[in-house]
Amino acid sequence: MLEVLRPGLQTTVQDAGRRALALGVPGGGAADPVALRLANALVGNPAGAAGLEVTLTGPTLRFHADALIALCGAPFRAALEGQPFPLGWAVPVPAGATLEVGTAARGLRAVLALRGGLNVPEVLGSRATDLRAGFGGLEGRPLQRGDRLGWSELPRVTPRRAFLSPTLHTPTGPVLTLRVLSTPEATPALLAALTERPFGVSAQADRMGVRLAGEVPAEHDPARVSLPNVPGAVQLPPDGRPILLLPDAGTHGGYPTPLVVAAVDRPALGQLRPGDQVRFQPVTLEAAHAALRARERTLRGVEAALRQWYKEG
Amino acid sequence: MSGSPADITPLGDSALLVRSALAPALRADLAARPLPGVQETVPALAVLTVLYDPLRTGPEALAAALRERLRGLEAQSPPPGRLRVLPVTFGGPDLAWCAERAGLSEAAFVRALTEVTFTVAFLGFTPGFAFLTGLPPHLQMPRLATPRERVPAGSVALGGPWAGVYPRQTPGGWRIVGRTDVPLFDLGRPDPVWWGPGDRVRWAAVHA
Repeated sequence: MLEVLRPGLQTTVQDAGRRALALGVPGGGAADPVALRLANALVGNPAGAAGLEVTLTGPTLRFHADALIALCGAPFRAALEGQPFPLGWAVPVPAGATLEVGTAARGLRAVLALRGGLNVPEVLGSRATDLRAGFGGLEGRPLQRGDRLGWSELPRVTPRRAFLSPTLHTPTGPVLTLRVLSTPEATPALLAALTERPFGVSAQADRMGVRLAGEVPAEHDPARVSLPNVPGAVQLPPDGRPILLLPDAGTHGGYPTPLVVAAVDRPALGQLRPGDQVRFQPVTLEAAHAALRARERTLRGVEAALRQWYKEG
Repeated sequence: MSGSPADITPLGDSALLVRSALAPALRADLAARPLPGVQETVPALAVLTVLYDPLRTGPEALAAALRERLRGLEAQSPPPGRLRVLPVTFGGPDLAWCAERAGLSEAAFVRALTEVTFTVAFLGFTPGFAFLTGLPPHLQMPRLATPRERVPAGSVALGGPWAGVYPRQTPGGWRIVGRTDVPLFDLGRPDPVWWGPGDRVRWAAVHA
């Protein structure tokens, strides 16, 4: 069991998300799903086990039982019993120890995985916290001081003394290029306006979406019907300030969607931090899929190697 | 073969947008006989968005498979829905603006809304939110140019051709004309969502 001494800015239980969009329920799950996969692989968990997503300023946690944990994602500073705690390693934590997750110099989020996975109840097929709807995770809310969380027991193992190459982690700002696919709603003028210059990330950035600063001349079509939102959609409301949709976004929307961020770059949306600059780079479907396959090969290589280690250990 | 040929377009690199009058039948068909690589299907009005895993299938192969499925489908007669009566306290920040735009007094505008029989076209946006069709053109209202960051739970609103109710506090761009106390999404109920596609809905005015 772990106890929350300080909750951090917004720490939530997240996993790989749910599939209930047709009920109007957002997909949810870790905003940087690569961080979730890497952290889970490091501690020998299934890829979608539930961990803690930390945001900008992390929590302070006391462990009341031995645990094996890993932190992946943005480069957060962290300390275990006052000693620097490394990112991208599996680290055994003795009962009674305190982990302080500080702030990140770049990026916004990281995932703390615990061997066994957090064992909050599943809601609609997932343990992910849906903050807007107020369910999942721990009572549908961010962690608070005094909260206690348990995890499932897995056989004790010797962690592999190898750390993950920093290149595996999702890229962080302050300047990010996102590969995008254009949609039939992208007129040539709109496409040019969206890709000719970078956009600043505004302070309106949460798990539903990220508002960009700057205006794009947008057509207001009151007759446009609401359509299902797709992951990574770049929406353009009539005020011309683009919105990048994140995992907790509503399932349907009425605003034009001229661009969709390629699957390979969607984890980076979870790392966008107010003040960052993003640039949209149009790519073909073939290029987007090739980049996704290449990244997936690397990730699966890491997952397979760690799985093998834990099987033999 | 029935209906017009489906229009299938990629939306990003892991979704296809299918526009077809047979969208509801296609969704049921895919639920009964899944296609490899299809992760989820999300309905809208005469639309089905098919989310796929690009590591397991490709957009062209999937579009071909979906066209093949559509050729085998008949337009389904919509199942008879329940009649759901939603108590609404009319009022709110946009009621006066909407009434004026419709050229009616507020009382006449409210009366007109309570005379509409809506139909739940599909669920979406946020848990418990239903897209209601049936609003006559003179009662339809344009969305706000800038969505509100916080629309209170229970807000009854009009947006484009639709009417709807915000089950939770969310951002929203529809015009708010009233509110209801009915919990539309409650995980404590066996059926967490208050209404379902095909249901008919009337708004009954509650006087505070």
